[in-house]
Amino acid sequence: MWRRSLRAARRCLGCRSPGPQGMCSSHAVRTCSAPALPAGRITALQAVELWRRHFEERGVTEPHLSSQYIVAHLLRAKTIQSLDQERLTEFLSREETEQVWKLCTRRLSRMPVQYVIEEWDFRELTLKMRPPVFIPRPETEELVELVLADLQRKSGAADAQHTCLEVGCGSGAISLSLLKSLPQLKAVALDQSQAAVDLTTENALRLRLQDRLQIHHVDVMTDPEAVLSLCGPVSLLVSNPPYLFSEDMASLEPEVSRFEDHAALDGGEDGLNVIKHILTLAPQILSDHGRVYMEVDPRHPPLIRRWVEVNVEELQYVETRLDITGRPRFCILQKATAETGPQAGSGLRN
Amino acid sequence: MSGLVPFLGRVYTLSSRVLWRASPGVSPLLRPLPTGLTCVFTVGKKDLTDLPALIEDELEEQFVRGSGPGGQATNKTSNCVVLKHVPTGIVVKCHQTRSVDTNRKRAREIMREKLDVAYKGDLSEVLVKKKESVQRKQEKRKKVNENLEKKRQFKEALATDSKPGNDTV
Repeated sequence: MWRRSLRAARRCLGCRSPGPQGMCSSHAVRTCSAPALPAGRITALQAVELWRRHFEERGVTEPHLSSQYIVAHLLRAKTIQSLDQERLTEFLSREETEQVWKLCTRRLSRMPVQYVIEEWDFRELTLKMRPPVFIPRPETEELVELVLADLQRKSGAADAQHTCLEVGCGSGAISLSLLKSLPQLKAVALDQSQAAVDLTTENALRLRLQDRLQIHHVDVMTDPEAVLSLCGPVSLLVSNPPYLFSEDMASLEPEVSRFEDHAALDGGEDGLNVIKHILTLAPQILSDHGRVYMEVDPRHPPLIRRWVEVNVEELQYVETRLDITGRPRFCILQKATAETGPQAGSGLRN
Repeated sequence: MSGLVPFLGRVYTLSSRVLWRASPGVSPLLRPLPTGLTCVFTVGKKDLTDLPALIEDELEEQFVRGSGPGGQATNKTSNCVVLKHVPTGIVVKCHQTRSVDTNRKRAREIMREKLDVAYKGDLSEVLVKKKESVQRKQEKRKKVNENLEKKRQFKEALATDSKPGNDTV
């Protein structure tokens, strides 16, 4: 019975012969030649080890982490460390084993783990993930921390009613995380991708945060007026916009280039195409002293500072912050008012 | 990036793909931290508020994230945080969750507990609570065993004695 199901499993896993040079085609969940299901029963730990070796042999990056996360997920845990030895050394059922094979086979095509298990964690939230919507990066968790720290420092921030606008919400990570941490906050999230809008909506519902979040399908590049009509003045604008330089798009690892939306990554020749549009829009949508918090490429901060000085009079550059790896990663800008003026306070802290 | 080192005066060594840097903590580096420097991490554990406060300047954080550009350019799932308390040399490693940010916070929680033990020895709240918890478990187990023993004796008495009521258990 095991052997019969072996062949059936092979068919339903969609094994096809690999293309030329054993390469898998891109943008499709096609499998490379998947290793055979084991003849006998195996434990979770054995499955992790087996697939770690398979991944290694086929040049799949993070082989051990990949197999650990996938197997843990199938055992309804987030990490292998959270499972006790008993569970890890029990034999997997046939269904469980077939599931392991099905998911790990997807990873063989370099599909990111987050898409394989269809979820990932961002700060304290677990979010649904779906290709090609951009997967939140760890750096962006720090962007949220920055916003929270700033808001908490302001007087009366705990009770104050703030509205924030997020441009390019993707899976909804930033807005949903802010909403979770700040019960008084209301948020408006935009994305030019319908898939992103749908996924953010789904995550908002799962987290029961939909009451305080509006989500709109808008492209700030082509339709900035639409943004202005969607919400009144906001106290903060937050974004992790596409900021890669076009020339860097060619050298992306397969996990990124084959599966994630390039429109969520490519910022044009200098990586600033989308950023410039957001910063131009910012003074029109921000209330007085409202702030912009943006994640950028490490080369951007001085470029943005200079560009804003010349092109966006009402916006003053406040500071640059580093990310956890020590790279300049976050730009904070503030809407100048008549009193503070565009010149006041700029340039001192960078 | 190396240009920032003399300016900031922080210990910063790059070795293969591992990066040790002074912990950015909650307020990263490019502006001076407010006076009264102590950053108290008050995450979780309401009953352990007497734990030593952490001074971010005394911490170094290690991130195994590779030498690439980071950010949008890569998608890595490694999120292990290694935190070192420079004055004592105590190192905490945390990969409990799938979120780097959460692991950083947990690493700091654990560091506070370890510092408490290091500074206060047996008087450490952490050890005291652990001891109490162990004692409670021992007492519980003792009671359970006593009950089991009583039941066993009672059953034995019922089995061997043909005259009901003769035994006192």
